[in-house]
Amino acid sequence: MRIEKCWFCSSTVYPGHGIQFVRNDAKIFRFCRSKCHKNFKMKRNPRKVKWTKAYRRLHGKDMTQDSTFEFERKRNRPERYDRNLTENTLKAIKTIDKVRSRREAKHIETRKKGKKAQLMREAVKELEQSISLVKAPSVLKEDKSYTLPKIKVKVSQAEAKNQPMEE
Amino acid sequence: MAASLASKWSRVGRSFLGGLDHKLSGFLSTSHEACSNSFSQQRSTFIQMRTVLKVVDNSGAKKVMCIQALKGKKGARLGDTIVASVKEAHPNGKVKKGKVVYGVVVRAAMQRGRCDGSEVKFDDNVVVLVDKQGQPIGTRVFGPIPHELRKKKHVKILTLAKHIA
Repeated sequence: MRIEKCWFCSSTVYPGHGIQFVRNDAKIFRFCRSKCHKNFKMKRNPRKVKWTKAYRRLHGKDMTQDSTFEFERKRNRPERYDRNLTENTLKAIKTIDKVRSRREAKHIETRKKGKKAQLMREAVKELEQSISLVKAPSVLKEDKSYTLPKIKVKVSQAEAKNQPMEE
Repeated sequence: MAASLASKWSRVGRSFLGGLDHKLSGFLSTSHEACSNSFSQQRSTFIQMRTVLKVVDNSGAKKVMCIQALKGKKGARLGDTIVASVKEAHPNGKVKKGKVVYGVVVRAAMQRGRCDGSEVKFDDNVVVLVDKQGQPIGTRVFGPIPHELRKKKHVKILTLAKHIA
């Protein structure tokens, strides 16, 4: 039993899932679901399809090089069964998975970090340029700040009393 | 164009057994969609009468037309044997054109379920010619061969294979 990778989206294909297509040159393409299979039949390049892992890795959206990937390399030589080895491997898989997902999340976080400063600059610029949309120029002359003047609304006591009765 | 194709297929459907009609009508419905987009995706089905298959051994035949699918009401699948008529052959080969032969389907475009739950499909419909006992006539086979043949007791073909899918 082997957990394969989908050729198109690089997700894991567990046993019992997906379709395996064998081309006449004996190259095997495994697909996790019909979505990937249909995209393959349409001759789409996974490196250009935004939701695939191939695209994300190519465009630096996801982590590419890390030591945790070394553990998942395909090994074609079967290991002799050893209970201790199997037990340790299962434990290791859990911790390595945790480490890897933590590092991937960090990578995405650092990628998204620089946006705040840019957003601030954009907001300041917009405020400077389009303040006339919300504040009249005459008012702006008197009060040069970008805050809007406070408007006081009078609520009569009789109306407030009526409202609960209407409901 | 779609209409003319559809009428041709309906004529073909009427001339053959009524049992095959539902499958051909399935063909019709898919063909309507197929003609509309540029990538015509025909849904792969069973190998039945009149199916032309490629021959992938060195027995001399090149193309073979299925006459009968032994076993299977709807048709033959991957690993089944068929009775076929040789339509195209190499000039000097063991089989000649027009001969009626048996063949084992080694690659089928229709997906076949494996015992682990996954499905395999190949690029084309391909056959290896055998004699009545099931021994291959040729001495070489080309291309990938699925290991489904082992269960069907076509071990000889597997031994000749270069690549087992």
